[in-house]
This record gives sequence, C-alpha cells and structure tokens, in this order.
Amino acid sequence: MTALYVMIPVAVIVVGLAIWLFFWAVDSGQYDDMDSPAHSILFDDEDPRHQAGVEEAKGPGTSERDAPHG
Amino acid sequence: MLGEARAMCCPGCQAVAEAIVDGGLESYYQHRSEPSTNPEALPQALPDEIALLDRADVQQPFVEHQGELAQASLLVEGISCAACGWLIERHLRELDGVAEASLNLSNHRLQVRWADSRLPLSRLLAELRRIGYAAHPYTPDEAAERLHQENRRTLRQLGVAGLLWMQVMMAAMATWPEFNLDLSAELDTILRWVSLFLTTPIVFYCCGPFFRGALRDLRTCHLTMDVSVSLAIGGAYLAGIWSTVTGVGELYFDAVGMFALFLLAGRYLERRARERTAAATAQLVNLLPASCLRLDRDGQSERILLAELRVGEQVLVQPGALLPADGVIVSGQSSVDESLLSGEYLPLPRGVGDAVTAGTLNVEGPLTVEVRALGDDTRLSAIVRLLERAQADKPRLAELADRVAQWFLLVVLLAAVVVGIAWWQIDPQRAFWIVLAMLVATCPCALSLATPTALTAATGSLHRLGLLLTRGHVLEGLNRIDTLIVDKTGTLTEGRLTLSSVQPLRDLDADACLALAAALENRSEHPIARAFGKAPDAAEHVLSVPGQGLEGSVGGHRLRIGQPAFVAGLSACTAPAIPGDHGQWLLLGDEQGPLAWLVLDDRLRDDAAALVEACRSRGWTISLLSGDSSPMVAEVAAQLGIDDARGGLTPDDKLAVLRGLHERGRTVLMLGDGVNDVPVLAGADISVAMGSATDLAKTSADAVLLSNRLGSLVQAFDMARRTRRIIVENLFWASLYNGLVLPFAACGWVTPVWAALGMSVSSLLVVLNALRLSRVQAA
Repeated sequence: MTALYVMIPVAVIVVGLAIWLFFWAVDSGQYDDMDSPAHSILFDDEDPRHQAGVEEAKGPGTSERDAPHG
Repeated sequence: MLGEARAMCCPGCQAVAEAIVDGGLESYYQHRSEPSTNPEALPQALPDEIALLDRADVQQPFVEHQGELAQASLLVEGISCAACGWLIERHLRELDGVAEASLNLSNHRLQVRWADSRLPLSRLLAELRRIGYAAHPYTPDEAAERLHQENRRTLRQLGVAGLLWMQVMMAAMATWPEFNLDLSAELDTILRWVSLFLTTPIVFYCCGPFFRGALRDLRTCHLTMDVSVSLAIGGAYLAGIWSTVTGVGELYFDAVGMFALFLLAGRYLERRARERTAAATAQLVNLLPASCLRLDRDGQSERILLAELRVGEQVLVQPGALLPADGVIVSGQSSVDESLLSGEYLPLPRGVGDAVTAGTLNVEGPLTVEVRALGDDTRLSAIVRLLERAQADKPRLAELADRVAQWFLLVVLLAAVVVGIAWWQIDPQRAFWIVLAMLVATCPCALSLATPTALTAATGSLHRLGLLLTRGHVLEGLNRIDTLIVDKTGTLTEGRLTLSSVQPLRDLDADACLALAAALENRSEHPIARAFGKAPDAAEHVLSVPGQGLEGSVGGHRLRIGQPAFVAGLSACTAPAIPGDHGQWLLLGDEQGPLAWLVLDDRLRDDAAALVEACRSRGWTISLLSGDSSPMVAEVAAQLGIDDARGGLTPDDKLAVLRGLHERGRTVLMLGDGVNDVPVLAGADISVAMGSATDLAKTSADAVLLSNRLGSLVQAFDMARRTRRIIVENLFWASLYNGLVLPFAACGWVTPVWAALGMSVSSLLVVLNALRLSRVQAA
C-alpha cells in the first residue's frame, strides 16, 4: 500500500498536465472544426511526403464520381 | 480531366475546371461528394470593387499585420463539400507569398496569412474566384464572437469535469464499503482529502453556470432544473467537506463529478448545434453593395466605398447592380426589380423623376441617381427597425421540460422536508445523511438530459433533410401551431421568371420560335434572359435597347424580341394587343411581322400543393399574404385552394395581420423569403425562411429551409411530432426512475454506490432513446 503515497501525487500531476494540454488544444482552435479533418486524410495521397502510399493506393479501377457542373 | 473528356455546361464552369486541372489539383474531382456551385450563380464582384480592398483604410478592420505577414479572415461562398476545402487550401498555398491557408468547413471561414507586399488582397480574391469561389472579408460581429468564446469555455468546463471526475471516482470509490478491501485509517483520510482537493475545481470552475442560473431563477421566483441541480451539487459538496474533516459519513464527491459531466455534456451538445447553425446563417447581412460609382461634376465616375457617399451626390448604377441609396433618377431608363422589398414579382419600369429604393436591383440600363437618403434613413432601414420591434414582442413558447422540472422540484423538496422531519424523530444522527442521499439520488440528471439530447439528435437529422434550425424552440413549438402564413413570391413560387408558354402567330412552330428567341437572349445579361435556356444557334450583331428589347440576326434574318411596339417597329406594322393579363408577354418578330408571343411567368413550386395539403390535414388555417398586387396572388390561392389570400400588403400590413391573429390566440408559423416578410418572420411564433431568401430574412427566422424543398418542411412537422413523443418518453423514464428511488432513499437504503449506478443507467437510457431520432428516412 505504500506505493499509493507515490501514485496519488503522480496521478494528480498527470491530471494537471492533461488539463493543461486540453486547454492548450481548445485555445489553439483544435475543436473548432470537427468536419474537415475527417475528410482531409482522403487527400493525403496528394501530399509528396506520402508518395509511398500512393503506389499502394493505385489499385485497379478508381471509381468514377458524379458528372461535372450543371 | 481524370483521363476523360467531359462536357461543360457553360464557359464559367469550363474556365474553373481548366484552372483546377492546370494547377495539378485534378483529384478534387475524384474526391468531391457534391457537385460544386455553378460559378455564374456566385455574386458577381466587380474588378474595381475588389481593387478597393487593397486600400489600407478599407483593410484596417479585418486585416492584422504581424511583421511582413498579414492575416485575415475571409468568408467563402460556393463551398459544397469537403473537397472544396482541400482545393482552396492547396491552391492558395501554391501561390507565391501565401504562408498559410486553412479553411473551416463548418463555418466556411478561411484563415489566411500572406505577405501582402508581394501579393495584394485583390489578387488573392481573384485567385479564389478563378477556381470557382467568391470570398468576402469577414469581420466577426460581437454576438458571434461572444457565442464562440462561450462555447470554448463550456468545452473547457466539460473537459475539466471529465478528467477530474475520473480521478475523484477512483479515490472516492476506494473508501466505499463495497470496494474497501483493507484500507488503513490513514489512507482513508488521505483519499478523502485527495477527492476533496480534486472536486473543488469541479464545483467552482465547472458548475459555475448552474449556480448562476439557479440564483437568477430564484431571484425571479422560478423553480427550474438549475435550482434542483445546484441543491444536489452544493449539498453533496458541503457534506463531503464535513465528512472529510470529521472522517465520518458518506462521500458523494463522485456524484458531483458525474452530474457536472453529464449536464455539461448535454449543454455543450446543444451549444454546438446552435453555433453551427449560427455560423451558417451569419453570413454578411449584405443588402447593400459595398461600393458604388460616384459621378463628379464633369460626369467622370469613380468607385468609392458606400460609407463615403453623401446625400445630394450622384451615383451611376450599372445594369445588374444594387442601388446603394434611396434617391431619384436624374437620367436613364430602366426597370428595377423590387421583389425582395415589395414582393412584386416583375421588374417595374422606372424613368427620369421616379424614386428608387436602396437594396433594389437595377435590371436593364444604366441609371444616374441623385442620392436622397442614406444608411439609417432609407426605406430598407425602416423595415429593419420594424423587425427589431417585432422581435421584441415575439411570444415565448414555454418549454415542456421547464414545467416538468418545476413540479419535480416541488415534490422532491416537500419529500425532503417530510423525510427529514420523520428521521429527526427516529434517529437525529442519520437524518442529515438520509436527506442528502435523497437529494443526490433524485438529482434530475436524466431529466435535464432528456430534452437537449432529443433536440440535438432531431436538429441533426433535420439538417440532413435540408432544414436548419437556428433557434431552440422550433421543434417543440411546431406541435402547437394552428395557423400558417405564407408569402407568395419566392416561397410558394420559384421567385424567378420562367417560360410558361409560347404562342406562335405565323407558320413557324413553337420550338423554332423558342430557338430564335433563345439565340437572341443568350447574348443578353438581363435576368429574364436566363429563362430561355441554351440556344442551339448563336445570334449576331445583338443590340440591346433598354426598356424595349433586343435586336439581332440569326441565320441572316433580322429579329427583334421585347415590347410589342418595339418588335412591330421592325416590320412597320401595328403592334398586336397583349392577349393575357398576367405574366410578362414578350413579342418575337422579324421583318415580315410578329412571329410568336412568349409568356414568362413565376411558376409554383412543385411541392407547394403537398405542403398546403399537409397543413390542412393537420387542421391549420392557411393565409397567403403577399406584397404583390397583381392578380397572380388570387390565381395562386385558387390553384392551391387557399381561401384567405391578400395581395398588395406592405410589411406594416403584414405585421398588423399577425398581431390580429395573436390577439385571437393563434399560434402562427410564418414561411417567407423577402425583406418585406422580415418583420413578420421576426414576430411569428415560429418562422421559416427559404434558403434562397435574403440574408436579413434568414437571420431573423427561427429556421432556414436550405434545400428550398417545401417537402422537407412537411417532414419536419413529422419530426417535430416524433421529437415531442421522445421527449415525453424521456421525461417519463427520468421521473419514473426518480420516483422509484425516492422511497428507497427515504428509508435510508441508498448508498453512494446505488446512487451512482442508478444515475448512470437512467441517463444512458434517456440518451439512447434520444438517439433514435437521428435515424432518418432518406430525403
């Protein structure tokens, strides 16, 4: 049980850190837009840093989407 | 694109597609989930008006400078899906001088940081337009800013409550007899102090809104949910301090954290839904142009900001532009579209000496207008003031949950007093702890989650159907409506002229005549021209005569279209009389004489009849109130079977009708779109603006029909009914749980474990029940 004498203060410090991190995330606007990040991974193939993934992703037959404007 | 040729509908789309493909951003087309907005439907910005934005004094309110970089928020129009966001960000980042561009998809705001010494703002906007989006500088208004700040604060409170609650739960649960294995007395004390230490921020930081709400309600002598919640939280916390210090008694700290987390989560959900809708409607209230062309004494025009214009000066208003101020025409001949202000659906002819109103659209020829009234003195502002007055006496619909909470709290408080007195007689030692257990166990956690979760789920599904709720009372209130007021132009009808018939006068058949007319009209910028659609042939030498019509040649034949007298002038015969009485009649003729009548009219929306039918089957009274004074009003009413139809009403008249209905105790739903509907929209119990409505109408309405499908509204009526049923069910479940637990608590059998368990199960039940509303039939 003596471990608790150490673990409790550690837990409190960890919570303090977590709250600080959470405040930072809220203030930097990370929760402002919940929609676009979900879609942005679709475009990662376009990023030059992800070229390795592109080769893999180039499976046969990219499905055709809707027609252009109008 | 994407390795194949595609047909383009117009040069506008083609230019955009070329710009996108040339920029190496072709995969936009692969990822987009919605067809994009037609660039020609975007508001046209004049190049010299954009250039005005490069002036330092104009930029001052919305551009911030940090060293070499400037930072600005832009509101982007024309975004239809996530791929647009990617396209905009990528395209801008590739420009020389742009350091950062990030688009928020939920409110369509673009944050951009760029070096404005190398890249003027006007270039930036022009680049956006090149790929098919229109952007305006965005200056947050105070209300939006405040809402945003409050949301962040609520989120912080929610996060703190969640993180701390988990720790408190671990510490507090260890002291409960059920989990207490071999805790030494010393450790027990430490754990109590640790949980007190961790609970304190929850109470003082996270629960602030409940205490403030409770104080406010007590001052006005109302018993609300906040009072009840504050009692439970405050009681549990104070008792916790007592038991920590003395080392005896139960510890309810984890219940405090749980209340805070559940209640804040409910509030945050509601807020998010509200902020999203606020962002969607808080576009620019853009009724007046940002700039205008001022004429100096020599007749030279100069583009200036509207704020720099003074009464008595003369402005040049080009065809297709909005009038910047009230005034009198000093030269020029044109027709003016006043449909948004008055509900008249045809552009009205205006000439020298006629008065014109700010915010109306000049349709045909250039006009020189002497400014008579500006800003607050214009007729437009008078309507806005009427709106504010109407908003002030908007009746409030009491919410179901509030009434239930009031009764609930009364019962609990009475029971607490009775039980307290009874236990005082039996065992004074335990009386306090039993009353406390009762207050905690009956905390209306599930009760206060019942409504927000149901409303949030229903709001989400309605959004998918194309109806955006901007105020909270709509769903509950829809069940109490008994009268519907509709506007005609733009609401029951499409609000734009469409070709309704072609009546040939000579040997050429209707299709051939239409082809000729379309060939001519395709060369015109006039709004009427769009009604004719695409022409197979192109006309040459097209000449526009303002107020009269068009002249040009197709396949070597000279043709005219427009006013009968003008067209008859080409063949030098007398003009035939117009055979009908409503709609706009255009004559098509060549050098031999008239060829055909083309009738343009405003068409009823396809689902207007279904809406009227749905309302009638619910037993509502329907009134058609229109600003249009033409016989069209009576005809639309006859077509739809509406008995009470009135035309030629001013915004004041409409508001008077609404007041009359209110005096007779009616609950009114208003459906409208124009600026002339705005006061009624603001004053009605519930108001819905069409998605195509003016910004002012949208911001003053309680809901916006984004899809413009009246059918979605009928679905919303059903959804409102289902929501009400779910809310009632939820309230019933929550009260049942609280009612069941009350006798057990009164007998002193409820320990913190059972309180925690019962609370979470009942809350979960309520939330799951509410989630049933997020299932929605395919629209």
